[in-house]
Amino acid sequence: MLSSSANGIYWMARYMERASFMCRLLHIQSEALVDRPIAEIEFGWRRIYTAIDRSPLGGIQGAGPEDDYTLVDAFLLTDELTFVRDNPESILSCLERGRENARQIRNCVSEQMWTALNTEFLRIRDIKLTDIWLTSPGSFYAELLAGIDRFTGVATATMYRDEGWHFFRVGQFIERVQFSCSLLLTQTRLELQYGELAEASWRSLLRIFHASGAYDRTYSIEIQPELVLDLLVTDRRIPESLLRSVDRTTQELSSLGDGPNTATSGALRRLAGRLGALLRYDWPDRDDREEVLRQVLIYSRQLHDRLSETYFDYAIQGVPRSDVR
Amino acid sequence: MDFKSYEIESSFYDEMFKVDGSPRAHCVELHSTLTDLTQLELSTMQERVTRSFYNEGITFIVYGDEAAGERIIPIDCVPRVLANAEWRHIESGLDQRLRALNLFLEDVYNEARIIADGVIPVDVIRGCPQYRIEMRGLSAPYGAWVAVCGTDLVRTNDGFRVLEDNLRVPSGVSYMIATRKAVKANLRNAYRRSQVLDVEHYGKLLLRTLRDIAPPGVSDPTIALLTPGVYNSAFYEHMFLASELDAELVEGRDLIVNDGYVYMRTTLGLRRVDVIYRRVDDDFIDPLVFRPDSYLGVPGLLHAYRLGNVTLANAPGTGVADDKSVYAYVPDIIRYYLNEEPILANVQTNLCRQPEGLEYTLDNLENLVVKQVGGSGGYGMLIGPHATPEERDAFAREIQADPANYISQPVLDLSRAPCLIDDEFEPRHVDLRPFILRGHETRIVPGGLCRIALPRGSLVVNSSQGGGAKDIWVLPT
Repeated sequence: MLSSSANGIYWMARYMERASFMCRLLHIQSEALVDRPIAEIEFGWRRIYTAIDRSPLGGIQGAGPEDDYTLVDAFLLTDELTFVRDNPESILSCLERGRENARQIRNCVSEQMWTALNTEFLRIRDIKLTDIWLTSPGSFYAELLAGIDRFTGVATATMYRDEGWHFFRVGQFIERVQFSCSLLLTQTRLELQYGELAEASWRSLLRIFHASGAYDRTYSIEIQPELVLDLLVTDRRIPESLLRSVDRTTQELSSLGDGPNTATSGALRRLAGRLGALLRYDWPDRDDREEVLRQVLIYSRQLHDRLSETYFDYAIQGVPRSDVR
Repeated sequence: MDFKSYEIESSFYDEMFKVDGSPRAHCVELHSTLTDLTQLELSTMQERVTRSFYNEGITFIVYGDEAAGERIIPIDCVPRVLANAEWRHIESGLDQRLRALNLFLEDVYNEARIIADGVIPVDVIRGCPQYRIEMRGLSAPYGAWVAVCGTDLVRTNDGFRVLEDNLRVPSGVSYMIATRKAVKANLRNAYRRSQVLDVEHYGKLLLRTLRDIAPPGVSDPTIALLTPGVYNSAFYEHMFLASELDAELVEGRDLIVNDGYVYMRTTLGLRRVDVIYRRVDDDFIDPLVFRPDSYLGVPGLLHAYRLGNVTLANAPGTGVADDKSVYAYVPDIIRYYLNEEPILANVQTNLCRQPEGLEYTLDNLENLVVKQVGGSGGYGMLIGPHATPEERDAFAREIQADPANYISQPVLDLSRAPCLIDDEFEPRHVDLRPFILRGHETRIVPGGLCRIALPRGSLVVNSSQGGGAKDIWVLPT
């Protein structure tokens, strides 16, 4: 497969996965705006912005950093994270970039995938936050999430299982590892920074990972932060747990050929192994969980770099003989 | 819905109706279906066809208006029907024309007998901006300089005429197929009863053609389609064709030339490419030979071509044969190389490079269409009767400043076909662009893209200037 096509598929998958995470975060936040205490709402905004490593639009206005999110209008924050194209992390930006990548590699994905992505993008492209703000932000995010899930489902059902499929999955899982890890790291850091967090913040974290029911079944309805973290990091039965996402990344990488350069290819696979080992063997015995998560995030970013060097943007060492076809 | 308010004027050939208002024999089936449908059913059908283009992202971009983003070409759901005999006549004319033009290209870049024999003046060729001196002494595999051609035909009360030959990178074939799919899904019964001839196998014919012209000795060629990229107006078509060919869609940055061979960068390393269906203009394909500032091409590509290690379809330099000055000589070209009379007529053309042509053009501007010889897409032209006196004066000055750059033709009474406009049937002027392939033999799918001048009375069918398109149904008998 053409390197640039593989790169396009990879990024399409990443942007769609990112859009899914943002959608879930904003869905929960839009619900919190209705009946949760101010402190919880403030925490929700802080968690989102810290996870995506961004400051809120219009921010602080002379107040201390602790007032960042209580002073800023929820409407503005929601808009910035949903519809503002200048924000590369907004849902619309993610969908637009996903679609732009898909448009360039349409011949490598199924017709149904393209149509699912295109129709979802066109559906929300012209919506304004004012259209949904007073009545139905929650159902807007729910519908959007269903649209993104439809795209992923259609991909699973229709995409040809060639290299392109494996690059699609690698993109999905690397994004999942990075976004999940970033979110868990943010939660851990905020707890270190502000002391014990409200139970609701852990409960909402579980909901973001679709793991609320799993936690209740595995432990109890009493929230214990350590157990929540354990579950979200190591329970492979949870589709978006860190360990499962890392394992799936490794599995997809093993389905790809070695690439033209066995040195970078080897480094890529060793790094994936190291990442899995960190979660599988270090995590249970370490108290400095923030440090482990930080290391996971670094490794996952390196994983992207190695992947790119191996398949997309490799140095050409020795052009093949002219009879190589 | 009936055609009671539909206007028929004897000065324009109507594709569906005779002058007395009765449907032509080959249009009876479609006419009956359309009259059986209600206005609501027709408008719903039109909406469905448009919606399918929108959802599937069958779009194009207009240069100079990029801010408007991707557009869909307006599709009219009422097909234009051609009788089989009409099509056979067109088909044989197109085959004849392309064979002659390929022989002309081989000659003009080699022995140039046609110039030596005085059939075409040398300055017409040498003055043509699309003549590529770099191609002198080169041949195309199997003489297929032009492997893919899109010829524009118009019909008047006098029959079909060739308006222009598009021999460089003709586009529109994807819209032909997309329109066919959308329209047949909505006019299922009429389509089946009419036994319309298929056009959707175009991709297979293109693949066969490109395989035909692979470098000698390559039995299973690797084919790639070279696109300028996602911001090109016809990018959808490039993607569509790559998919039909099961070929990689490459940009210049995906290819490298080494040791006279072309390779593409894949996830498994470099892989050799044998045939490139290029949708990048000559000027941009190789910065070492043509425009040095081009980022769209591949340095060294022409070198690989010269060595015969890669085939380019179409070959560089084919634009000399669709130059509007050379166009005037195509009937002579056909007679010269094939010793046959042209089956399809040209439009009478006045060359402003010739004193009598210039004088006639300037004296009759209000009755003529004036075009730049290298222009396309409906740009750089004047439609005399529709222009203001000031516009005609300004254009006259431009012609006088550079006469060789202009030709003029009479304003043609383009045929009209019924279109669904604001939920009513109204006549609109149309043309026809069939797509002709030439490898070891000529291959043409029966039909083409029917372009429509959508504003009432307009003669400009180009999609970049508000034109639309409709399906063409060629019948089996």
